[in-house]
Amino acid sequence: MLAYALRRILQAIPIILLATVIAFFAVTWANGDPRARLATCTTCDESAYDRIVELYELDKPTYQRYVSWLGDVVTGDLGISTSQGERPVNEIFWERFRNTLLLALPAFVIVAVLSLVLSVYQAIKQYSFGDYALSAFSYFGLSMPTFFFGLVLQAIVIQLNNSFGWKFFWTQGLHDENFKELIASITLPVLTLVLISVAGETRFGRASMLEIKNSEYIRTARAKGLSERRVVFRHMLRNALIPLVTIWALDFAALLSGAVITESVFSWPGLGRMLLDGIFATDLDVVMAVVTALSIMAVLFNLFADLLYGVLDPRIRLD
Amino acid sequence: MTDLAAPEKEAVTPVVDIGEVEGLSEKPESFGRQAWDRFRRHKVAIAGAVMLVLIILLFIFAPMFTPYAPDEPNVLERNQGPSLNHPFGTDDLGRDLMARVFTGGRVSLLIAFVVSLLATTLGTLLGAIAGYLGGFTDTAVSQVINLFLAVPLLPVLLVFAVRFGSNPISVALLLSLFLWIRAARVVRGQFLTLKSMEFVQAARAMGAKPMRIIGRHVLPNTLGPILVEATLLAGLAIILESTLSFLGLGVKPPDTSLGVLVDEAKGFITDRPTRILIPGSMITLIVLSINFLGDGLRDALDPTSRVGD
Repeated sequence: MLAYALRRILQAIPIILLATVIAFFAVTWANGDPRARLATCTTCDESAYDRIVELYELDKPTYQRYVSWLGDVVTGDLGISTSQGERPVNEIFWERFRNTLLLALPAFVIVAVLSLVLSVYQAIKQYSFGDYALSAFSYFGLSMPTFFFGLVLQAIVIQLNNSFGWKFFWTQGLHDENFKELIASITLPVLTLVLISVAGETRFGRASMLEIKNSEYIRTARAKGLSERRVVFRHMLRNALIPLVTIWALDFAALLSGAVITESVFSWPGLGRMLLDGIFATDLDVVMAVVTALSIMAVLFNLFADLLYGVLDPRIRLD
Repeated sequence: MTDLAAPEKEAVTPVVDIGEVEGLSEKPESFGRQAWDRFRRHKVAIAGAVMLVLIILLFIFAPMFTPYAPDEPNVLERNQGPSLNHPFGTDDLGRDLMARVFTGGRVSLLIAFVVSLLATTLGTLLGAIAGYLGGFTDTAVSQVINLFLAVPLLPVLLVFAVRFGSNPISVALLLSLFLWIRAARVVRGQFLTLKSMEFVQAARAMGAKPMRIIGRHVLPNTLGPILVEATLLAGLAIILESTLSFLGLGVKPPDTSLGVLVDEAKGFITDRPTRILIPGSMITLIVLSINFLGDGLRDALDPTSRVGD
């Protein structure tokens, strides 16, 4: 197990490195010259151009700049943001990461509980009205673009605000003066994240629950004369957790990178906004920091899901 | 099916007609025929297919009947809500939104079609080569697939989109570049299983060349999953295209797509929420029909994997 985990981590390192190489070349090549931003700046003189050249070492070839960027990152220095007054990216990153977690963590917990309960319910009550209704709902959730669902929620709340003076939720931005305001501002973005994830997970969860429901050991449990409650809670639920837990692990990484859209709709100052702002401002170090962090997260949670699967289900051999 | 009278008949006539034993009198139904029967009975899939065809016809032919050009501003009729003259209303430049939704819809569907075709062709080709040849080729293709799977799709797509996203074709090419791995993974898996099957070994033993084995024996057996993947990719392409366009990184004005229309409308969410609701619902409806269709195809073509049921 430990050897397997170590080997997987070692295998993950070149993948992450390769991902950063591709991202770095894509960012420098696709996003163009960071000096272009200064074209609209009326107060900037020649020294502003020189400063950007100096910060990004634009006088050196791309591969040399990659090597020096990587060297800095390994020692924990994510670089400097040129569009935010030369603020260290480390500072921005951790602040934004915290804000994204404010959305991703509650969404994750709600998604986990909902997907488990709903898929067990759907499997037990297969072909009932509730099962069909939930299947229809998950079809909808999978077919609706995240940004559209976010905007619909926003439009509904705005209409309620205007017609009834009903001001429970914020539709824009992060308000963390007190706990009540915080809840009022995370509700809509969290709901948006939840809908999209729950739709995919219950579909998967229902299928694997049905497989469990029709398995031999459940028939044995019933044949032993166990109560329905005991069959469901003791025999089905525990086994249903195996596939769902691994999906949860994968989903958490997806929630972090999927937050890009939700954050854009709700003007949320998280990693996603940071990435988009960085892209539009050609702020190379900012873009690289977010892309690298999200890639590392994705690879790590992928690994975590595989390991978890091996721990939970001894039938799975990891090697 | 054998009719119950068959054994009696046998006893009377000593010469057995081979066609009447064990249901052999019936010509076995071809796989395509069986799949079509399964698909036809799949109500949801039929509903999806009908809806999709209607939407496509609407987008293709409706612009011929609207009196307004999609890009013609009219200062006198700005920011109107739905009315008889403008069923979907007008935007802040006074352009007719119905005409814009139809032309935008055409663009979104075109992108979906191109992505589905390109990504599936490229994925099938590479997946087939990797799965059939194995060895170094397979390792190389698999590593590329693993790399794409390891990296979160959306952030990387956004980075590339700055340079490449602008007109519909470049957005379609960009999406194909990232989505072919899905088809490749499916096809590679199918080829790995099929190539060790007995009928393929038999073909090889009879001296069939690799190209003939792939084209005649293996590929026809993977057409089902490929078709399903192509359908689902079209839906994914529409979602990704509209998302990129909404974030300002996909199709850009003066070109328009359903995502662009939502993006243009987001500032008017308080006064004219219909401007967001109409193109947004259009996207949802199209993707929903495509997903219905895809699931129906999956159930019809591959009876062993019934995910949605």
